[in-house]
Amino acid sequence: MGSRTEILAKIKTNKPNLIETPIIEPQVFDEGLNLIEEFTKKVEAVGGQVVPITYEMDIHTEIKTLFPDTALNFSTLEKAISFNTLSLDNIEKPQELEDLDVLVLESPLGVAENGAVWVNDTSFPIRVLPFITKHLVLVLGKNDIVPYMHQAYDTLNDFNFGVFISGPSKTADIEQSLVIGAHGALSLTILLKND
Amino acid sequence: MSHPKLASLFNQNEARVDWHDKALWFVRHKRDLATHQVKGWEALRDLGHHIKAHTLSNLDNYLIEFEKNALENGIQVHWAANGDEHNKIVHQILEENQAKKIVKSKSMLTEECHLNPFLEAKAIEVIDTDLGERIVQLAKEPPSHIVLPAIHKNRHEVDALFQEHLNTQPCDGDPQYLTHEARKHLREKFIKADAAITGVNFAIAETGGFVVCTNEGNADMGAHIAPVHIACMGIEKLIPKQEHLGVFLRLLARSATGQPITTYSSHFKRPAKGHKMHIVIVDNGRSEQLGRPDFRASLHCIRCGACMNTCPIYRRSGGHSYDATIPGPIGSILSPGKDLTKHSSLPFASTLCGSCSDVCPVKIDIHSQLYKWRQIITQNTKQPFIKKKSMVFMGKLFTKPTQFARIGKIARWSLRYLPKSIINARPNIWGKSRDLPNGPKQSFDEWYKERTKK
Amino acid sequence: MTVGLFIPCYINQLYPQVGIATLELLEKLNVDVVYPSGQTCCGQPMANSGYENESVGTCQNFVENFKDFDYIVTPSGSCAYHVKKHYNILEQTPNVTKVRNNVHELCEFIVNVLKVTNIGAYFPYKVGIHKSCHGLRGLRLGSCSELVGDHYSYIEDLLKEVSDIELMPLQRADECCGFGGTFAVAEEAVSVKMGKDKIKDHLESGVEVITATDTSCLMHLEGLINRNKQPLKVMHVAEILNTNLTKLKSD
Repeated sequence: MGSRTEILAKIKTNKPNLIETPIIEPQVFDEGLNLIEEFTKKVEAVGGQVVPITYEMDIHTEIKTLFPDTALNFSTLEKAISFNTLSLDNIEKPQELEDLDVLVLESPLGVAENGAVWVNDTSFPIRVLPFITKHLVLVLGKNDIVPYMHQAYDTLNDFNFGVFISGPSKTADIEQSLVIGAHGALSLTILLKND
Repeated sequence: MSHPKLASLFNQNEARVDWHDKALWFVRHKRDLATHQVKGWEALRDLGHHIKAHTLSNLDNYLIEFEKNALENGIQVHWAANGDEHNKIVHQILEENQAKKIVKSKSMLTEECHLNPFLEAKAIEVIDTDLGERIVQLAKEPPSHIVLPAIHKNRHEVDALFQEHLNTQPCDGDPQYLTHEARKHLREKFIKADAAITGVNFAIAETGGFVVCTNEGNADMGAHIAPVHIACMGIEKLIPKQEHLGVFLRLLARSATGQPITTYSSHFKRPAKGHKMHIVIVDNGRSEQLGRPDFRASLHCIRCGACMNTCPIYRRSGGHSYDATIPGPIGSILSPGKDLTKHSSLPFASTLCGSCSDVCPVKIDIHSQLYKWRQIITQNTKQPFIKKKSMVFMGKLFTKPTQFARIGKIARWSLRYLPKSIINARPNIWGKSRDLPNGPKQSFDEWYKERTKK
Repeated sequence: MTVGLFIPCYINQLYPQVGIATLELLEKLNVDVVYPSGQTCCGQPMANSGYENESVGTCQNFVENFKDFDYIVTPSGSCAYHVKKHYNILEQTPNVTKVRNNVHELCEFIVNVLKVTNIGAYFPYKVGIHKSCHGLRGLRLGSCSELVGDHYSYIEDLLKEVSDIELMPLQRADECCGFGGTFAVAEEAVSVKMGKDKIKDHLESGVEVITATDTSCLMHLEGLINRNKQPLKVMHVAEILNTNLTKLKSD
């Protein structure tokens, strides 16, 4: 517990009188975005790509055309048996996922203003998956895009771990030169589903 | 050494100053482009400010709420009154888990507590995994910026450093090659780590969870692979509700680098099966700062670094010239609260131009606080004799118009007739690189009186 | 309308022409101008150096001299800002409050109170505007590059109407020049570097004359320009706005 009591007592003595919580009014920020257009623009701006697909298409076949020569693939989507070349049943430690080439996950939510896509660990059994994979493919429904972060948080309730991902991993720590692929995925593809 | 001394050393290499200034101005420029695209940006800053002010006014209760929810989520919660206690807690957790190899993502708090040397002295390997932090760690230097830790290093210096420590090939400073070599090097460290330490960007009282933002994905690579995750947070990282994240995540990355959001905004709520999660809540002088009404708002800071990028002094003196964990304008209002004497030159390392306050996403009145620290410093620390005497003299002089006119006349005469070699000689520091104006024959006052007589 | 004219201490002693231009300009605009003779300084030099307490007498002297005016006008954004922002160290008597409320920077006074922008000035030169920080970010004499909002600027409103003037754009529209009062000597190296960079920006834009609402910034820049023999002049905005007048008088 350490110095819990002491710290809380000090805060209680030193804090100012209660100040009211401000109310967030999302309409203040509303500029009538074209959600798909804005979302696509932002994903591309942060180094990702958006590929529109229709519901008749077989998602995994589409992904195979995007990544034809990859060895280790894993998808959490339905009908992935022929796509998956890796079985999580044999994975004991997250480290063993090190050579994963392509990971496909379904996302329930995208945000137009920043191209961020939400995934949480109800859809992927091992948390490091979307970070350790070389290429990340997220499947998102067109109608699941919200304009701003304010609306996004309205929908996020039950998760143990979740992450907004906006583009592939990147750094500019060497002289402000942008380099894609720091520690996480080297590429991010969003399959935008017409549903 | 004081800020002016370190700053003048930095300024001995003017080309380097120009390069540093431009690199950071570029970031400020990207910030402008991003923020000017957001409808209601100023309203968003207002919200950020008021949510933080509200949180601080109820901080003890929010911390209790956060702790309760975190415990229910299966996270272990620890409290540290100061840096020393923080380090001991972290060490104890590591010992309990027989952790010898640690990967750490960016956390200014652990810098502040000097965690690395503490653990290294106990034969624990701590690897900073943010690329910029790894660069300065290899160079055995502190970060010079809170978001861009190695901004003071050029690509050729990084090249040389990597050749020495990571056995890379000479590459004429190719950032692509260097980054990919660092990826390989650090991938190995992630895979072998026994525990991961991360900072916390926001902790949410309502959910007992916390958010960590990175672009590289290093916090996640560490926290999800290693069996133990220790997240260290200052008490001021708390926000009441999840919906408040909507405000802060919109503000943070745009202010920091001009990105609409960081690549990864990771929301940790419950540990994964078979993994352990700890949170260390640290005070280390923050509750004291909370008790200073004039400086309380400095605790609003979300560590975006925008005040550094915009500060014309920071850009031209470098982060190390501040000799403090947090450099730049925000550091200059935080540091004096920790050690007034050591940091007494920092509030004076500003022209009070106010740009820092205007870029601040949570509207901290940084330049007003700099002004206020100045008043406290002159009263509580030793000041140069000449400065003090001349201020007292001027203060008196300006209450006596006739005397002011007489002294003014002498000053004007001197400027007019004394040789430049005498005027610009020491102790006239102004005259080292600048001329003084020629003394006019008449002051305005004299001219006005003459005109009125006519 | 009677205006109390405040001439900052260093303008009074070192740049009387700026005071003269300000006075003549206001008179041309049919303002009844009074210059209270007991005035000295606003107190800023001591206060910004951390010696606010030593400035109390100076501030009181200011209030004493200007308490009877409905408008106090000064050719300095910095001094006006100091009175407004930092006179909280005085007891807030009705006189102190009145003085704090009534102090105006010259350009803002002309545009907002007199509601005039065209003064009939003539200045056939390439001019770069230096937006002095205290006036800009303290008094909001114009939009600031950091903030999101519509563009405006009182000094631009006035200068745009000057005949034959050419206003030159800068790479960094409102970066500080590095003067900063005692900062200029306490942080000499950085101050000088900031000034040099500012001058470079103006030179690269083809500026012939740098102008500002504050002579303090200009004194710093002029010091560097003269030392380095650069082809630039500095003039307070009052001097530019008053050009045509002076010309008419001497004719």
